[in-house]
Amino acid sequence: MKTMDCRDVLANLSCYLDGEGSVELRATLEEHISRCRRCRVVFDTTGRMLKIVTDTAPFEVPLAVSARLYARLEKVLSEP
Amino acid sequence: MQNDEPPNPNVPSEDDLLLVERVLAGDRRAFEPLVRKHERRVFRVALAVLGNIDDSEEAMQETFIKAFRHLDQFRREARFTTWLTRIAVNEAIQKRSTRKNLVPLAEVETAAEQFTPKRYESWKSNPEQLYGKQEIHRIVEVAIQSLPEIYREAFVLRDIEELSAEEAAEALGIKVPALKTRLLRARLMLRESLADKFEEPATLKTKIVHTAVDAGTAVAMRLMRAAGM
Repeated sequence: MKTMDCRDVLANLSCYLDGEGSVELRATLEEHISRCRRCRVVFDTTGRMLKIVTDTAPFEVPLAVSARLYARLEKVLSEP
Repeated sequence: MQNDEPPNPNVPSEDDLLLVERVLAGDRRAFEPLVRKHERRVFRVALAVLGNIDDSEEAMQETFIKAFRHLDQFRREARFTTWLTRIAVNEAIQKRSTRKNLVPLAEVETAAEQFTPKRYESWKSNPEQLYGKQEIHRIVEVAIQSLPEIYREAFVLRDIEELSAEEAAEALGIKVPALKTRLLRARLMLRESLADKFEEPATLKTKIVHTAVDAGTAVAMRLMRAAGM
């Protein structure tokens, strides 16, 4: 199995978190993570950051902004 | 339209295509549920590109008006959300390009090119439960808003709006590898800025152990002995 340094491993972080990459690549990454504490922390906490952000569903449309959108659309929709 | 009704992200999922067909057949009112369903997405995308609410509001209005007027150009092989998102990104990017105080792109790219993680402590087991719902919203939104715009837009399109890498790259007018590079930076930067709130506070003992483990066994033993562990 090909070994990787931390830099190469980090470059493949997205690929790993998104479930992409070959079986071989994933195995290589997992092997590195199992023995490198720092990379393990970065992989784990980046995955958790993604979950927290998506669970939060950030940025609501402010009510006033929404109201003005509908008011403007009302005009457009009523155009002859 | 009912202006007094709050936007509801959980509008029953009436099929987008069905609504589009109805609008095209002359039932203009069928456009309203489409707006209700997607206003949040459009707003978020505009905000990701523009970074402020006022400009995003204008871009959102323009997006829906444009979508309504050009609905006949929507090709059914694409998802309606993808088509609409692309219009929103275009509107927002156009608006951004009229601004005067643009940070030169090259400058931003270079700054991020050298980005390497700096925080290596693990996170608390359920960090999001330590804060109230509103507080979490604020923490996450501030973190996303403080990303440089090219990273923020890549992150929002991919990780929040769940466009594919190809769709996101196309919407932003960049190549897929560039999109992927920006997404990785965005994720690493966000991780870093959320660490303040979510990290396990390191005790002196864990700091020593971690420094030791990261440095290798021989040093580890020496440090741990010196610390009386």
